[in-house]
Amino acid sequence: MQNTNHKVLVANRGEIAIRIMQACQKLGLGFVCVYTAEDSASGHVRMAKEHGGEKSLYRVSSYQDANELLAVADESGATAIHPGYGFFAEDYRFARRVTQRENKLIFIGPSWRIIRELGDKINTKRLARSLEVPTVPGSDRPVYDELEAEKIARQLFEFQEEQGIERPMVLVKASAGGGGMGIEEVYDIDLFKSVYRRIRSYSLRQFSDEGVLIEQRIKDFNHLEVQIVSDRTGKNPVHFGTRNCSIQSTGLQKRLEIAPGFDPSSINYTFDAQKVLDDITEYSLAMARKVGYDNVGTWEWIVTRDGRPFLMEVNTRIQVENGVSAMISRVNGQAGVDLIAEQIRVGLGEPLGYTQDAVTFEGVGIEYRLIAENPEMKFTPWVGRIEDFGWDKHEWLQMHTHVPTDVAYDIPTEFDPNLALAIIWGKDLSEVKKHGKEFLDELRLTGRNQGEESLKSNVNFLRIKTDEILKF
Amino acid sequence: MLDITKLLEEIKASPYEELVITAPHTGVVSFGSVKEGDRVIGATGTWNEIPGTPLATLQRERNDKIIRATQKGVVEKIYTELEGTFVEAGTELVRLRHFLSKEEVLSIILKKALYLFEAPERAKYYFAPEVDSKIKSSGSQSVTVHDGMELFIMSRMKREAPLNYSGPDGVIYSVYFQHNENIDSGAPLIGVCPPDQLALIEDVVVRVQTEWTEQE
Repeated sequence: MQNTNHKVLVANRGEIAIRIMQACQKLGLGFVCVYTAEDSASGHVRMAKEHGGEKSLYRVSSYQDANELLAVADESGATAIHPGYGFFAEDYRFARRVTQRENKLIFIGPSWRIIRELGDKINTKRLARSLEVPTVPGSDRPVYDELEAEKIARQLFEFQEEQGIERPMVLVKASAGGGGMGIEEVYDIDLFKSVYRRIRSYSLRQFSDEGVLIEQRIKDFNHLEVQIVSDRTGKNPVHFGTRNCSIQSTGLQKRLEIAPGFDPSSINYTFDAQKVLDDITEYSLAMARKVGYDNVGTWEWIVTRDGRPFLMEVNTRIQVENGVSAMISRVNGQAGVDLIAEQIRVGLGEPLGYTQDAVTFEGVGIEYRLIAENPEMKFTPWVGRIEDFGWDKHEWLQMHTHVPTDVAYDIPTEFDPNLALAIIWGKDLSEVKKHGKEFLDELRLTGRNQGEESLKSNVNFLRIKTDEILKF
Repeated sequence: MLDITKLLEEIKASPYEELVITAPHTGVVSFGSVKEGDRVIGATGTWNEIPGTPLATLQRERNDKIIRATQKGVVEKIYTELEGTFVEAGTELVRLRHFLSKEEVLSIILKKALYLFEAPERAKYYFAPEVDSKIKSSGSQSVTVHDGMELFIMSRMKREAPLNYSGPDGVIYSVYFQHNENIDSGAPLIGVCPPDQLALIEDVVVRVQTEWTEQE
């Protein structure tokens, strides 16, 4: 990094906050962290205390209060804000405010205009269609009107019937929600209205927002992603390959991600899988070039059973699963790619410094999301105290976690119950599966709650699903 | 058997509580004219429309937020060393000695007299929809609860689960939680008055109303 005269405000928590701080250290940059009262015991707070130096840690009332973040940025002398994922990561108003206020700061993410352009799902589809990129139907934004919701649901049923899906289904989701609750499946359009009303009232109670999303069924498709990185010129986007995120919880939350998106070298697909990967990569790059995309981003695709890709949306942020792409990527033949460090570097204005030719791929990667939850009870989060958490070190393993391994940790109920990301590498599919199971077998993760119930986790679910990865 | 006289005497011996006023968010603090020993009041009026005494101002992003007394009392300590500095959320700014009102004394004694149904986990709690609408239209004391009844929705990590009441039958005499507020495990959610305790509870109310004198 040429200009290290920057201090980055880490506007997030947990694992991603730690990853951002580590990337700053790697690049020789200063950082400042925020935390809320519930997160006092989180590893990200400890890391800021131990490695951040003066003015590197501030307690705030909320991670979602822009005034808090900007006040801390000014007080601590920050020059840039990294939003991580979630919270303000895809909020163009926040990005615009950061870059246009009197004390201007750098928003480490795409320019606010690009976030606005691609955050508007209708606009994204219009842009995709202009480049002859196929798109999937569904509600492009939260729906507040019952008639509109019903119209979208009908379109989705029709689309699935055209695809030859035997039992079409649409998902009705609380727009502001996530994590499994506030989502229901509808198999019959006549029942749609009552489900829609139920979810709307849940959403109002939980989030003071009646917005509801009507979405395509994902189960019969594969869910693929293309990782894009581009510098502030917006002219030289490169891709860091594809990911497959089809293994999800019942609430359609990702649990296991694999890079690359398919493996035609060891699995026989009924379609030309390599062509699909090439096509979605080219489509994603074409769109990135068209909009002048200028940071990291993910193009999300569904691929139907007959091997046809449809663009779902573009996520204008770093994603949770960035590490699995980095694990199999090489830049100029070098391993140890860190997409968060790349994001910060280009975000602060450095040129990317290499072209697509320099990016190569080696082996297969798996990312396990370790979560305290009960897969047998619709992935209900388990709340309590983690008493023992540990794993054996391997050169094919990276662990990212905010959960301390030397003291007990009470899982806060205010946030998602994610505990850690385990990223596994293997030279091919069979080796990465072997490594994955070895990791899961060696993992120590125990705890109890106040009712003396022992910790529940998705480890077994991940173990079972490891056998199925990349099959379609 | 509850000894109301003894309880009242205990509270009279120490008829106040310490209130700590903390910074609700980050900002640069200034204390203005308030001094230690000053008498202050909380918000008053039918709808609390008359604001409490200003204690401090927090400035953040060019906006001033006035921090006011939440209750009636005397200013015991002002952290004047913080004047003009940037404080974090949760920083102690002022301590008040608050003299208990009749309602608060009543609440303290009722917590000992009623059956308290406690939060099993730290979570947000809501009444089940049909109970909620009854409470909104006719008040909590219009609801009779019985063992095993589905009474609450427990919500954490954005997921909801029904929660059944367990305990003696009776009416919901007091409600101790608010919507969208996290309640710690073991904190009371409701106070239930069994039918055979009703006379005792009414006696508590009358005794506090007649025997407690609020300090000015």
